[in-house]
Amino acid sequence: MKELAEVLKDWEAVIGLEIHTELTTLDTKMFCGCKLSHEDEPNANVCPVCLGLPGALPVPNRQAIRSIVKAGLATNCQIMKHSMFYRKHYFYPDMAKNFQTTQGPIAFCMHGHLDLEVTGRGAAERPACAFGEAEAQSLASASANAVGLSTSMSAQMPEGGTAGAPAHMAGYDTSHLQLAERHDDGSYTVPIRILRIHMEEDAAKMTHLGGEEGRITAAAESLIDYNRCGTPLIELVTEPDLRTPEEARLFMEKLRRIFLTLGISDCSMEHGSMRCDGNVSLRRRGETKLGTKTELKNLNSFKSLHDGLAYEICRQAEVLEEGGIIYQETRHWEPSRKRTVVMRVKETADDYRLFPDPDLAPYDLSDEFVDECRSELPELPDAKRARFEASFGIKRADAEQIAGDPETAAFFEAAAAGLSGKEAQTVANLIVNELVAYLKAAGSSLADSGLTPAQVAALAKLLASDAISSNQAHEVFGLMAESGDDPNKIVDARGMRQVSDTGALQPIVDEVLANCSDQAQQYRDGNQKVIGYLVGQCMKASRGKGNPKLFNELLRAALS
Amino acid sequence: MAETLNLDTLSAAQIASGIAAGEFSAAEVADAALAAVEAREPEVQAYLQVTPELTRAAAARVDAARAAGEPLPPLAGVPLAIKDNMNLIGTRTTCASRMLENYESPYTATCVARMLEAGCLPVGKANMDEFAFGSSTESSAFHRTNNPWDTERVPGGSSGGSAAAVAAGEATLALGSDTGGSIRQPASLCGVVGMKPTYGAVSRYGVVAFGSSLDQVGPFGRSVSDVSLAMNALVGAGKDPYDCTSQDCPVDFLEHLNDDIAGRRVGIIPAFMEAEGLMPEVKRAVELAAEKLVDQGAELVEVELPHLDAAIAAYYVIGPAEAFSNLARFDGVRYGYQEPMCATLAEQSSLSRAHGFGQEAKRRQMLGAYLLSSGVYDKYYYAAAKARTLITRDYAAAYQKVDTILMPASPRAAFKFGEISDPTQMYLSDMYTISLNIAGNGGISVPVGLGEDSQLPVAVQLQGPAFRDRDLLMFARAVERGFAGADGAPALSVAPGFAGKGGERA
Repeated sequence: MKELAEVLKDWEAVIGLEIHTELTTLDTKMFCGCKLSHEDEPNANVCPVCLGLPGALPVPNRQAIRSIVKAGLATNCQIMKHSMFYRKHYFYPDMAKNFQTTQGPIAFCMHGHLDLEVTGRGAAERPACAFGEAEAQSLASASANAVGLSTSMSAQMPEGGTAGAPAHMAGYDTSHLQLAERHDDGSYTVPIRILRIHMEEDAAKMTHLGGEEGRITAAAESLIDYNRCGTPLIELVTEPDLRTPEEARLFMEKLRRIFLTLGISDCSMEHGSMRCDGNVSLRRRGETKLGTKTELKNLNSFKSLHDGLAYEICRQAEVLEEGGIIYQETRHWEPSRKRTVVMRVKETADDYRLFPDPDLAPYDLSDEFVDECRSELPELPDAKRARFEASFGIKRADAEQIAGDPETAAFFEAAAAGLSGKEAQTVANLIVNELVAYLKAAGSSLADSGLTPAQVAALAKLLASDAISSNQAHEVFGLMAESGDDPNKIVDARGMRQVSDTGALQPIVDEVLANCSDQAQQYRDGNQKVIGYLVGQCMKASRGKGNPKLFNELLRAALS
Repeated sequence: MAETLNLDTLSAAQIASGIAAGEFSAAEVADAALAAVEAREPEVQAYLQVTPELTRAAAARVDAARAAGEPLPPLAGVPLAIKDNMNLIGTRTTCASRMLENYESPYTATCVARMLEAGCLPVGKANMDEFAFGSSTESSAFHRTNNPWDTERVPGGSSGGSAAAVAAGEATLALGSDTGGSIRQPASLCGVVGMKPTYGAVSRYGVVAFGSSLDQVGPFGRSVSDVSLAMNALVGAGKDPYDCTSQDCPVDFLEHLNDDIAGRRVGIIPAFMEAEGLMPEVKRAVELAAEKLVDQGAELVEVELPHLDAAIAAYYVIGPAEAFSNLARFDGVRYGYQEPMCATLAEQSSLSRAHGFGQEAKRRQMLGAYLLSSGVYDKYYYAAAKARTLITRDYAAAYQKVDTILMPASPRAAFKFGEISDPTQMYLSDMYTISLNIAGNGGISVPVGLGEDSQLPVAVQLQGPAFRDRDLLMFARAVERGFAGADGAPALSVAPGFAGKGGERA
């Protein structure tokens, strides 16, 4: 198979995402009072409603509606004042009623967008030919041909149509939507339109034992855990505006940061509380007709999302270049074997027999309710990143990473408060490097770690003032995380404080140079590298306490 | 040994007040009710399950409360039959279907819980058409129920067991559910009072759904005041937090029950009175009822419901569509009939459904599955939803002119078993009742005596605006009063073949 970069020169990849997010931070399920939990024994949190027992009726969870409205506001969607729940029928035991309660043509949130900033190596994935006029044409034709709704829904729901407006912009506020333009550094910003975010309930979790690859086919036993059944789930559907796997990954990352900041979900891809399916098709550059798409499942990490799409694009290109045809099918990404395999072929569109759920009255949102949700919106990651850059003077990449996680962002702000720009950047460095690595190794969360902003601020000051070296900072970080002690106390107790007093260091330099006359001569003869050895000797002589940068300067001065 | 109590001549209020006054105990009422069931049930077969333990336990609670000097609830000791699509812990809820033959209720429906909180004694679970699909109770998977007035005839349906139990004196009150006439039509055929309250007045939680936007629970009784008492129990506690389509509408249904109706306007729909299939004796009964109301000072006003034909068409789209959806859950995976020895899940689901459901249940689901399928949906479901809006507007316009509308409940008196075998002919049994469910308003069937030709019970139906169920009961009481005997007793009581039976000396 060709490399992705090679493929994308000839072919345009048209990608849309369907992203499911469980509202894990709520107390109860979507239509009943059962507890939401990932940890309890199977089938511990069930009742007649979420088990779909005869006679049970749903009652919507208002907090869930609040969460989805916030999600819509944070992604520039229109909040629909009138929407309805629908029943989507399919026979499978993971859905206790054999229908899923979801939404119809009008979702709570419609027609939003997120601006995607694509930089660095990721930006290079999009070839130069995919900008400007070509991009405009591509966008128009992709949207006109593919609406993110399932075929059965759009066919059934005439009232969902938006005749009159140009198809690709129907329903969107176009004033914010601009075509991608490449900057000199290769980066670009592209708006990704969001067709809708709708509310639905999650299915139960099935485990198939004794069959091949955990599938129901030929399984000896199938176990169903209904704890997850009825979990409030929001599904976001993008327009087919994404053109590279990197854009898809960045979109998902950005959305995750927003949802985390909103506090509506733990957004764990690992535990499946945030899941992504990708739809992808190829067409020759300049072609306006869309190719046949495949749907990718099991993209349950950012890496899988990128690599799965990249593989599938290359696979489709190979099939097409060899004169083959792409079948509309659902494919499963196998990360271990780095390939996609067919799950099922969609010969005809599924008929879900959608119709308005008669047990749930049409949902009317008041202006007050929407205003209330808006007023409760926290500072969103983009704004927070910009503020961190401006008020603390920290690097953009660090600001973006820190601002993306509300807990980390709050920790950073508390630690960096009142510090100088240099110290704040040091706090950022400690968080991005030391803290993240420490938490990962310890398998702990920031809250559970016991680390305080004051500790990290004190450590940053020590580091920024050259009182300790980076290596020492790493050691102190671990010690203070374990003990809960103030880093100054640790540094003093262990006599780690770095000596930056020239007067104290000069005698050590002199002694080392006296003992290492060979190396000194080598340096004078032009071997600059030998300075590293001499610094090492100074550090050894100072028992690690001397400031290596100062040693370096003093050595050079003495040898020049 | 004391003489066994004869419940046939006692109203619900008299039973409760008799217990409160110490004239007899709830345990004696339970014994009398169970004795009547034992003596009459072989010929009536109103019940799918009789629950003597539950009856006696409830009676013991009433007697204990009285002994402790606690105030007794308004229906203390009143024997109650419960349609078998309503969950009650300690009973099976079969919906008269093989699919749920052994299904034990895991919880109790709100409507049942409220009747029991009001002091009722649960006698048993009443027979019905399978999943409430039918108008004769003949589609029960287990056995037929005989009309107490002529055991060779049907009791109507789908709440046929509930109506028959009350008519035969095997219960004083009964609960039924009405999706297209399933309370009012059997009430009419069995000569008892049956009320379908406004949609949303009574919680549907725990009642196995047929058509969620049409279903409504309501009471049967032998008098309008008994039905009013039951309405107080069902509605009084207000909106059920477990049913978000239920509404708060607490009123005392007894408060204006005996009010004068002088000057009130009663609507007559001329087209209804000339409809094909309406038996002359039923037509005369409605005309006579109109006269009785006029005698009491009411004014008759002709009204029209222009989109009436569309109502019946809309019903046979919305009903099956919702039924298909609601019954999709019965796949034999976790409960209900499960086909043995199946190789795959798909085979198990389809064979469990093929063999668990009866013919009419399958017919409705097939119809619903078709009506909701893509390409067909717009033509039927969407059109039905629009028709529904029109019917609702028709009624609202009519109620600008009148306070209630008087019409037949059933076009004919009870028919013989097997007499109507064509499903579309059977569907006509509901020609006067369906439009009400489409609009969601309240309606009540009131017996007015025996038909001149059939010598079987005939009834009239009164309909009213949404959430004016108290007024409806007032008009029903006026009709009842008009046909009362010299002693003021309702036109019909326990069917003569059964009255007193099982009430002999012990």
